[in-house]
Amino acid sequence: MREEHSQHDAENVSAERRSFFKKTAALSATAIAGTSLLAGTKAMAEDDPFIMNTPDWGHKIGYPVTKNRYGMPSPYEHNVTRRNAKLLSSGNWQASIAMCPIQDLSGIMTPNGLFFSRCHGGIPTINPNEWRLMIHGLVEKPLVLTLDQLKRYPNVSRIHFVECPANGGPEWRGPQFNSIQFAKGMMSNAEWTGVYIKDILKDLGLKPNARWMLAEGIDSSHMGRTVPVDKVLDDAMIVWGQNGEALRPEQGYPVRLLLPGWEGNLCVKWLGRLEFAEEPFYAKEETAKYTALKPTGKAIQHFYANEVNSIITSPCPEKPWTDLKKGDLVEIEGLAWSGMGTIEGVDISFDGGNNWVEAKLKGLVLPKSWTRFSFLYKYEGKPLILASRARDDAGYIQPTIDQETAVMGVESVYHRNGIATWEVTAEGKVNNVQVRS
Amino acid sequence: MFKFDRKFILGASAAAAAALFAAGCAESGDAAAPAGTGAVAAGKSCAVSVASYNDQRSYMNGKKVIDGGVYYPVISNKRGPYYVNTDIDNGGYAYGRTPTANELKAWDTTVTPWHLPPEGEGTVEEGEAVYEAKCVMCHGDFGSGGGGYPALSKGNAYDNVKTLKYQRTTPDHEGPIRVFGNYWPEASTLWWYIKEGMPHPDTRTLTEDEVYSLVAYILNLNEMEIDGVPVDEDYVLDQEKFAKIVMPNKDGFEPNIEGANALDDVRAYYDNPANFGAQKIASADERCMHDCQKPTAKVAPIKIEQKEFLPPLSEVRDLPEVENTAGVDLEAKNTYESSCAVCHGAAGMGAPVFGDKKAWAAVVGKGMDTVYSNAINGVGGMPPKGGTDLPDDKFKAVVDYMISQSK
Repeated sequence: MREEHSQHDAENVSAERRSFFKKTAALSATAIAGTSLLAGTKAMAEDDPFIMNTPDWGHKIGYPVTKNRYGMPSPYEHNVTRRNAKLLSSGNWQASIAMCPIQDLSGIMTPNGLFFSRCHGGIPTINPNEWRLMIHGLVEKPLVLTLDQLKRYPNVSRIHFVECPANGGPEWRGPQFNSIQFAKGMMSNAEWTGVYIKDILKDLGLKPNARWMLAEGIDSSHMGRTVPVDKVLDDAMIVWGQNGEALRPEQGYPVRLLLPGWEGNLCVKWLGRLEFAEEPFYAKEETAKYTALKPTGKAIQHFYANEVNSIITSPCPEKPWTDLKKGDLVEIEGLAWSGMGTIEGVDISFDGGNNWVEAKLKGLVLPKSWTRFSFLYKYEGKPLILASRARDDAGYIQPTIDQETAVMGVESVYHRNGIATWEVTAEGKVNNVQVRS
Repeated sequence: MFKFDRKFILGASAAAAAALFAAGCAESGDAAAPAGTGAVAAGKSCAVSVASYNDQRSYMNGKKVIDGGVYYPVISNKRGPYYVNTDIDNGGYAYGRTPTANELKAWDTTVTPWHLPPEGEGTVEEGEAVYEAKCVMCHGDFGSGGGGYPALSKGNAYDNVKTLKYQRTTPDHEGPIRVFGNYWPEASTLWWYIKEGMPHPDTRTLTEDEVYSLVAYILNLNEMEIDGVPVDEDYVLDQEKFAKIVMPNKDGFEPNIEGANALDDVRAYYDNPANFGAQKIASADERCMHDCQKPTAKVAPIKIEQKEFLPPLSEVRDLPEVENTAGVDLEAKNTYESSCAVCHGAAGMGAPVFGDKKAWAAVVGKGMDTVYSNAINGVGGMPPKGGTDLPDDKFKAVVDYMISQSK
């Protein structure tokens, strides 16, 4: 019965196919004669051949839905990738950083494949079935969770940026990279899904003398950082979701710590252990590194929040104005963010920061998240020094480079949020420059 | 953006109950103040109706937010812009289990000033041998560094503390030295990091004695002393001596993070923007909009440009170059995908399915001359040359490709 049925179907298919090929053969014949859409009309020189002719994709069948089970960007976008620079890497690229192509992003969400990536012992391939989280130390009830158990906790989703505190760090002494990707690409923004640590702790009984929490990774570097319990009991999360799917290995699969607004390094990836204690842990990445040395000879340790910051993403060295003509109305667009709160406003300067006008915010304006700003400008074809200056609802405003270096000197590596400037030449080229007194 | 009204908070009982931070003006005593943040601050006025930046930078217990930023309380089931299910915060979850004593021991690898490393011992000489075998390839001779890996010593640690005030304001200036000996505040960090994070390609493989010996060797390279005794070649480092190490730059860090007042010290530090190079304004009106710069302001261009990027910086929208390592005829592959896969790509179309070894063995069994001839002239439901307009040899290549991928 079943066989008969399929035989019948095969015949039908076969008949349909014959008729289908008659049609496609006819179409092919047209294609051979010429791809012009206007038969018998000669295309003129001023006619755009891309309008006058049908391209391959306009008549040849595309690839089936069975290809690319996990979707891929168009091959034409192959130059939109994370990038590395030797200056910022260990010799083997396994204690290294890959910068996000923020010049190519739209909106505030970073696609997971482009999210900036930093590791201290390579990127591990962790079997989620063998992953465990241990919470111990100054809690009444220490706890071990499997991934499935962790994900049983009611979840929350939050949109936050993660920024390496060394973002822009190579430019304390002056600009070095004629590229926004390298000057500011150590950050990305995503929607994270996980559980507030305070909700787990509720049942574990945090002891009153607990002041600090160690978060430690289970990758080969076993990187640890100390977190004050204030943050743990405020908005610290353990997350497994990134923009709707599982964390990417580069972002800590299966689970990472997320401390909204704080140094990316504190958001420990490949998380395995949380230990509560009375005194801090002095882990390597909060002593040897991630401490900001001031000209006084003292270094800031436990430098938590990435301060208010902004960058114009269009134009930028990668996205110049060389195609504009005088009188064109063009959008100046950028990203603003603050690890201390929500962006309140952004100003734009055309003269390197001497005079300012207020830009418009656009889209979602969320705490500790990238925020888009916009300003419509009539292009005049004359040289400009473009700058942006963001402020947040904690009352902070971006310092000038002079103001910041007056306190921090030029050796502090981390937390550089001084006003950034682009030089726009008369030809519309864009260069990374700094304004200093 | 989310300025809140403290009167409003009082009215929002769900919010007050959900917030782990005790409300500064709430009477209810059940809210758990974060440990170490001390008692709820008294005297916080509840009559403030509109919060200033200052009010926003406090928790519900009146204490300043630890990082100098804003605290968003839950108001009317919203925290900032996000709706929240405040029931979630009540606890009552029983997931997971208590770790066993052995599991706790296995994972509690912490080594800190208050949690000494396990017992063991090693000499400088032994450390040098381990170093030469497992560390020198990255960290260089005598810890000199190189190849993107950190130096472990730059000479006498006590002398080098002085360099921490150096600033490379011009290329001729010497910069500060920041290696273990003269910069790190605690020796426990070194022991812990070597045990857990080194050697880089194969961590957690050194014995405790080897770690003691490496620490001794690195102390020696930094010309350091323990309890007044120089760490010479035959120095035997053990747990007791390790506990006595005092790092020369122990006091070189701010804010204070030790002791019962540590968290208050941290919050006081970040409450003062002058400590960390930040700029604060009382209101948006206070910011400078015109003639903001000193007359000496000038544009500094890039002097030494960094250009070594991987992959090279490019904004061109073209197709990537395909590396044909498999020896496949890419033109034929392309034709297959655009013209033949319609029928040969899936079962049920009557055509031999691409990759189906059995089906294609039967086709090839007819002899290649027949196969080419059928393909070029059409067979069954297949039109001549599959409906393409390729020359014979090009179309034969497509057939060859399909057969080669179905073996």
